[in-house]
Amino acid sequence: MAKTGAGVGQQRAGPAEVAAAAHPVRGWDRKRTVVLARLAFLVPALLYVAFAFALPAVYNVILSFERTSPATIANLISPFAGIQNYKTVLLNSTTQDALVHTAIFTVLSLLFQFVIGFGMALLFNMRFPFSRFARSLIIVPWLLPLLVTGIMFRFLFQLEGGAVNQALLDLGLVNHPIDFLLSPHWAFTSVLITNIWIGIPFFAILLFSALQDVPTDLTEAAILDGASGWQRLTQVTLPLIRPVIEVVFMLGFVFTVKVFDLVIGVTSGGPANATQLIASWAYNLSFQQFEYGQGAALNTILFVIAMLAAPFYLWQARNTLRVG
Amino acid sequence: MKLSPAKTVAALFGAVLSLAIVLFPVYAIIIASFEHSTDLYSSVYKWFPPHPTLANYRTVLSTQGSHLVSSLVIALGTAALTLVIAVPAAHFLARYRFRTTVIVMGVLLVAQIVPSIVIANSLFVVYHSLHLLNSYIGLILADATYSLPFAILVLRAFMLGLPEDVLQAARVDGASEWQIFSRIVLPMSRSAIITVSLFGFLNGWGDFIFALTLLQGTGSVAPITLSIYNYIGEFTTNLGAAMAAAVFAVLPAAIMLVAAQRYIAAGLTAGAVRG
Repeated sequence: MAKTGAGVGQQRAGPAEVAAAAHPVRGWDRKRTVVLARLAFLVPALLYVAFAFALPAVYNVILSFERTSPATIANLISPFAGIQNYKTVLLNSTTQDALVHTAIFTVLSLLFQFVIGFGMALLFNMRFPFSRFARSLIIVPWLLPLLVTGIMFRFLFQLEGGAVNQALLDLGLVNHPIDFLLSPHWAFTSVLITNIWIGIPFFAILLFSALQDVPTDLTEAAILDGASGWQRLTQVTLPLIRPVIEVVFMLGFVFTVKVFDLVIGVTSGGPANATQLIASWAYNLSFQQFEYGQGAALNTILFVIAMLAAPFYLWQARNTLRVG
Repeated sequence: MKLSPAKTVAALFGAVLSLAIVLFPVYAIIIASFEHSTDLYSSVYKWFPPHPTLANYRTVLSTQGSHLVSSLVIALGTAALTLVIAVPAAHFLARYRFRTTVIVMGVLLVAQIVPSIVIANSLFVVYHSLHLLNSYIGLILADATYSLPFAILVLRAFMLGLPEDVLQAARVDGASEWQIFSRIVLPMSRSAIITVSLFGFLNGWGDFIFALTLLQGTGSVAPITLSIYNYIGEFTTNLGAAMAAAVFAVLPAAIMLVAAQRYIAAGLTAGAVRG
């Protein structure tokens, strides 16, 4: 709005403008004061982003090229190590497993979260008694501390006296309890189920609000044209809410690829590192084996993977970003 | 669309099934918190506590009080820091549009993607030098990374909707930038500010990753999430108490769901990401 101010000044020179013309330096000062006053609103945020996002992201890369040890932790800078940390960490078989597991984990999580979440969204989009009430309770999982959720599922998946095994036994689906947390295969499945559970409300609510925005006259016209329920869904509804589906998948990807608390809560990465995903293994390297350099190298890889979402993110937000 | 009676019954059945899936784990924690260890460790799962007891709650109240206070300080601090930084920044980004505005918005969007473990790993070494390990300040600074970008984006979107002519009128009347912000923008943005502070609180309360990494050793600062995690090490001794502590840990979410549901739903729809 500085421009507007200058324009007004040209049209009818007030006392301030006259003074400013007589003392150019003071006028420039005034303008600068206004700009500074406005910038003051933004400066704390800029400082914070520099300290809490930019500094850690950059410092992490520096750390990944350094030869670190528990003794060097007191120093901000350690000897240069070249790409040794990357070599060591990528040749580690647990790292390789964690990379593959994270990929499988992310794909399966998003797939099931979408199918279940979309099913619930369609359900709540129908008008029936208590639907509002039910919808308000659906978001509960999303509000709980992730670690608590993880520990909750650890308790449910217990071998002896766990609710899941008890239900399977009662229903006659198994003869012996499944060792959910003790066999590598089942432990991975347990963490996966927990993560799917966490994501359901997020998918359900965002897809529900997209469905609410679908104009009813379009679906009603499709009914008059004799379209079946499935045809209405795939040819009218889904194309209309596609932008939201894209956003939900993107946010889901960002959320899942860095999952940490859940892994620690359900299995602590065990048994024998079988359920380590990238983030939990990076934590293990840095904070349990004290290999900060290797942990930083794996973190840099995680950072790059997460950043794959950035172009889509910015593209989705292009309308918000446009200068008005 | 009005449903036929048969379809209404089917929909209700679907809703009950959905709620059962979503709420059962919470139910399981609550009933476990009322069970004796002997019942929890039997080989048969009890769908209802056979001999309800308050012993676990007594244990938690006598041993976890300081951790609950820690969590409260961290959650309130995170909400406060988020507001102090985000509200003025959102005002700037909504009112003054320069090329820098676009860049700052882009940076905030990208900042949302940075994994917390990356931040934690770096901040641990940095905090070591700055002597910020084991401190509330250090932890709150880290915890605000969960909510800050989201907060600025949500507040800005809301402030863009404020009537421009009201602000223009104030400007003509000679109001300063600060007066416009504090007397007009702030009161008018009340609902968005509530949403953002609730999420700041929940993010601070639920944080585990920064507590685990930035609170090393036996400091006095230890939130309830960290304390529950330490319980699993001693699971064999007191599972019931761990479950009672977990009930306390989910309490704020429960209260907000009842008391401030509309603000929570607004935040969820705006796409708040966590972790």
